[in-house]
Amino acid sequence: MTITPVNLSSSVADDEPPVSLWRDAWHRLVRNKLAVAGLAVVVLLAFVAVFGPWLTPYDFLTQDLNARNQAPSLAHLFGTDDLGRDVFSRVVYGTRTAFVVAIVVTTIAVAIGVTLGAMAGFFGGLFDRTVMWFTDMTMSVPNLLLVVVINASLKTPITAWMEARYQATLNPFYRETIWVDFLLVFGSMALISWPPYARLVRAQVLSIRGRPYVTAARALGLTNRLILMRYIVPNAIGPLIVSVSAGLGTAMVLESAFSFLGVGVNPPTPSWGNMISDGLRVWQHYPHLLAAPAAVLGLATVAFSFLGDGLNDALNPRGSK
Amino acid sequence: MTAPEIQKPLLDVRGLTIEIETRRGPAVIVDGINLTVGKGETVGVVGESGCGKSLTMLSLVRLLPNKIKVKGGTAEFAGRDLLRMSKSELRQVRGGKIGFVFQDPMTSLNPVMRIGDQLCEPLIYHRSMNKAEARTRAIELLRLVGIPGPEQRITAYPHELSGGMRQRVMIAMGLACDPELLIADEPTTALDVTIQAQIVDLVKDLRKKLNMSVVWITHDLALIAGLVDRVAVLYAGTVVEDAPVGELFARPTHPYTRGLLASIPKLSDERASRLSSIGGTPPEPGRRPKGCPFAPRCALAEAVCHERVPALEPVVGSNGHRVACFVAQRQMMEAA
Repeated sequence: MTITPVNLSSSVADDEPPVSLWRDAWHRLVRNKLAVAGLAVVVLLAFVAVFGPWLTPYDFLTQDLNARNQAPSLAHLFGTDDLGRDVFSRVVYGTRTAFVVAIVVTTIAVAIGVTLGAMAGFFGGLFDRTVMWFTDMTMSVPNLLLVVVINASLKTPITAWMEARYQATLNPFYRETIWVDFLLVFGSMALISWPPYARLVRAQVLSIRGRPYVTAARALGLTNRLILMRYIVPNAIGPLIVSVSAGLGTAMVLESAFSFLGVGVNPPTPSWGNMISDGLRVWQHYPHLLAAPAAVLGLATVAFSFLGDGLNDALNPRGSK
Repeated sequence: MTAPEIQKPLLDVRGLTIEIETRRGPAVIVDGINLTVGKGETVGVVGESGCGKSLTMLSLVRLLPNKIKVKGGTAEFAGRDLLRMSKSELRQVRGGKIGFVFQDPMTSLNPVMRIGDQLCEPLIYHRSMNKAEARTRAIELLRLVGIPGPEQRITAYPHELSGGMRQRVMIAMGLACDPELLIADEPTTALDVTIQAQIVDLVKDLRKKLNMSVVWITHDLALIAGLVDRVAVLYAGTVVEDAPVGELFARPTHPYTRGLLASIPKLSDERASRLSSIGGTPPEPGRRPKGCPFAPRCALAEAVCHERVPALEPVVGSNGHRVACFVAQRQMMEAA
C-alpha cells in the first residue's frame, strides 16, 4: 500500500521519551517520604526473611540453659528467652515465617479473588450472584472462629495420618509436621482472605467493562478472554496493588494472631505471634521477650500500611489532592 | 469523486427497530430504520443527540448496552444478516470486515497498553500475524493515518498523545484489517475545529485509497458536506430524509432537514439576525406521538401528520432522494 501520509502538526514533542504509567507512578511514590520509609522497611524485612538464617549469630532452636532470660546485650541483641534461645535469631527467623505465610496466603487469596471477582463482574448474571453469595457467606463468618474450627477439626486427623504414614514407610518426610502447620494456616487464612479481593475486583470490572475502550475492543472482534485479560484486569490492577500491599501486612497480623491463639504455626518454629504469646506470660519480669517480636510486628504492619497508602496515591494521582 | 456503482449494497438495513427497557416497560428508540450503504459509498447519518444514530450503528455489530435490544428488522452485510449470525462469525466481522471509530478518542484507547500493542491485537487475532509482522503493519498503519515518527510512537501510551493523534490511532485500529466498511461514530466531536477538518480530510483520503465504504455519524451537517456521497437524516429513530449530498443541500425537503440547514450560521447572514433554531425538543422514548414524530415541532403539520406515520417515499423527479413527509410529498405532487 503506497499512501502519502497526511501532514499535520504533532502536539507531542518528538524527542520526549515515552513515560510509562508505572514509571510515572514510581516517580510519585518516591516523592512520598512515608511511602519510601515503608518501602525501605519492607525491603529490609524481605531481605532478612530471605537471608536471615545466614545472618543470625545463633541458631533459633539452640538452647543455652545457662543463659536463660537474659536482658539484651551485645552477645544477645534482644536477650534470650526462658530456654536460653537467642531472641534476635528467633525474631529474624520469625520474619521468614511471617513473609512466607503472608506471601503465600495473599497469593492464593488474590488468585481466587481476582479470578472469581473478574469473572463475576464481567459475565454478571447467575455466576455473579453465586460468587457474591459465597463472598457474603464467607465474610459473615467470624474469621478467627472459622480458622479455629478448621485447625481444630483437621489438624488431629492429618497429623495422625502423617504419623501412620511414617510408621508404615519410615520416610522422615512424614515427621515434618511443620508442613501440616503451614498447609492448614495457609489454607484457612486464604479461605477467609479472598472475599475482599473478589469484591474489589468485581467492583472495578463493573465500572471498567462499560468504558469506551472495552466497547472499542469488542468492536475489534476480540474474544472475551482477551478483553478480560488485556483490557479489564490490567486496568483494575491499581487498587488491587494497594489492597495487596495492605493485605500482606494484615496477613502478618493475622498469622501472629493465630499463632498467639495457638492455632497458627506451632512451636518450636518461631513466629512473631507465638513469641508474643510466650512473652506475654512473663512480661512483667522480662519485657524484652514481649517487646522484641511485638515491635517488629508493629513495624512491619506500619511499613506495609504506609507503602499501601503511598501506592494508592501514586497509582491514583487524581485521588491524592 | 466518482459516483458509486449501483449494485447490491454492501450494507442493507431494513426495518431496524430498537427498544430500551424502562421501568414503565419497553420504549422504542429506533423505529424501523431503512439504510443502505453501497460499495465504496460514504454515507452521512445526521441527527441530533438521542435520535438513535449511534445505537443503530452499534446494533449492527451487536454492541448495544444491556438494557437496549434489537426488536426487529434485518441488517444484511455482504449478504449475511449481522443481527442473526453466530457469535464467532460476528467476531470475524467486528474489526475484520467492519471497522469502528468511536466518538471519544480520550477514553476509547486502553490506557495501560502501548498504542502499538493495541494496534497489533486485531492483526494477530484476525489476520493470524506473528508479532513482528503485526508490528510492521502497525507502523505502516500509523504512517497511513499521518502520525509522525511511527517507529517511535508505537511504544507510546495513549496519555502521551494529543486528542487528534489518538483519534488517528483509533482510525488506524479501525482500518487495521482492511475493513470493507468503516463506521465512524462522531469521530470529531471531541476534537478542536482545526483537528476536525484534518480528520475529515484524512478519512476522505483513506476512503478513496482503500476503496472502502464509510458511514459517518454526526450531528454536524456542515462538517461532512464535502466528505459524504449521501446523507440520511435521522429524527427520533426514523430516517426522515435520505438524499445525495448535493441534492440535500440544494433541495432539502423534510421540514426537519430544512430546519437543520437553516440553523447552520452563515457568514453572509446579517449581523443582527438571530440564529435560526427548531423550537421544542424531540420526543422522549416511550412518549412518541401517534403520527409523524416531528409533527409536534413542525410548523407545516396538518391533521394527517398527527394521525399517521409517513413512509419514506421517493421525491418526484429526483434520483435517489427520499423523504418521509406528507406535506412535502403533496406539495411536490401538486408542483409536478
